[in-house]
Amino acid sequence: MAFVLVVAAAARAGGRGQGDPRLDYILQCQGCHLADASGAEAVGVPRMKGVVGRFLQVEGGRAYLVQVPGVAQAPLDDAAIAELLNWMLQRFSADELPEPFEPYLAEEVARHRSRTPIDVPATRAELLARLERLEH
Amino acid sequence: MSAIDRMADRLTRTLAQRTSRRGVLARIGAGLLGAAATPLLPVSRAGAGIPNGRDVPPTTTGNPEDPGNPRSCDYWRYCGIDGFLCSCCGGSASSCPPGTEMGPITWLGTCQNPADEKHYIIRYNDCCGKFACKRCFCNRNEREEPKYRPQKNNEIHWCLGTKSTAYTCSVAAIVGVALERDDAGGA
Repeated sequence: MAFVLVVAAAARAGGRGQGDPRLDYILQCQGCHLADASGAEAVGVPRMKGVVGRFLQVEGGRAYLVQVPGVAQAPLDDAAIAELLNWMLQRFSADELPEPFEPYLAEEVARHRSRTPIDVPATRAELLARLERLEH
Repeated sequence: MSAIDRMADRLTRTLAQRTSRRGVLARIGAGLLGAAATPLLPVSRAGAGIPNGRDVPPTTTGNPEDPGNPRSCDYWRYCGIDGFLCSCCGGSASSCPPGTEMGPITWLGTCQNPADEKHYIIRYNDCCGKFACKRCFCNRNEREEPKYRPQKNNEIHWCLGTKSTAYTCSVAAIVGVALERDDAGGA
């Protein structure tokens, strides 16, 4: 019975997460982003598959992936977020990653997470505009 | 003056002499208060006239590793559910009734299977497209969280991205096994 309470407490209090980025993805992200990260654009859930890694190609993108509310507010500590982001980027968007891919570390996550933008959609729009310019 | 006029005249004068204006106001006020208080009286209204599963025969999964009655709120997978069980509405614990469409996005939680005591990850999808089933209403909410954490909230109407946004019933499908952490300390 003890571990039952422990799991429940870990899930509720947040913190270290499941200790496995795949499980953290299922529990914290998959409900909306779906198992293959294809998202649900019709209801405003962005597609991450084949896309999300491109954010690392522009200035501010690396911080944004930490600061986007679904990530910044997830009940996971900085180390678990770092693991989750590294896992997601390589699993869903390996082809878009810059070479060499520099994995997130807990310290970097903590830094970005402590200064989230006030206007998230505007930040996102600016990043997408930068990506657009990158292509032309 | 006609007889009718005289009668009306007498009646209104009598009424005016016998009653005070405040008295009338007070009585109207009391009536309004009473009407407001009536719904608070302990009368069983919830589910009145709704079968709510009482006429739904129990069922089993046929799998000893997946014990319980999927048409009962007590079934282990329903630990976080809030809604009508699709298994009472022509579907099953993990599939929608014919004519409805499963909402693609939803929240996920974990429930413990009493057979192996493992924690399984469950997704609680809504089935959409017909009138609310109104049978087997369950509201267990274990490990459910407020709406500011939408990925853990079951009060959100999850009929999003479906052709129809009409909510019919809910399912609880197994997605995977959660880790049993015994090193999280305390608790």
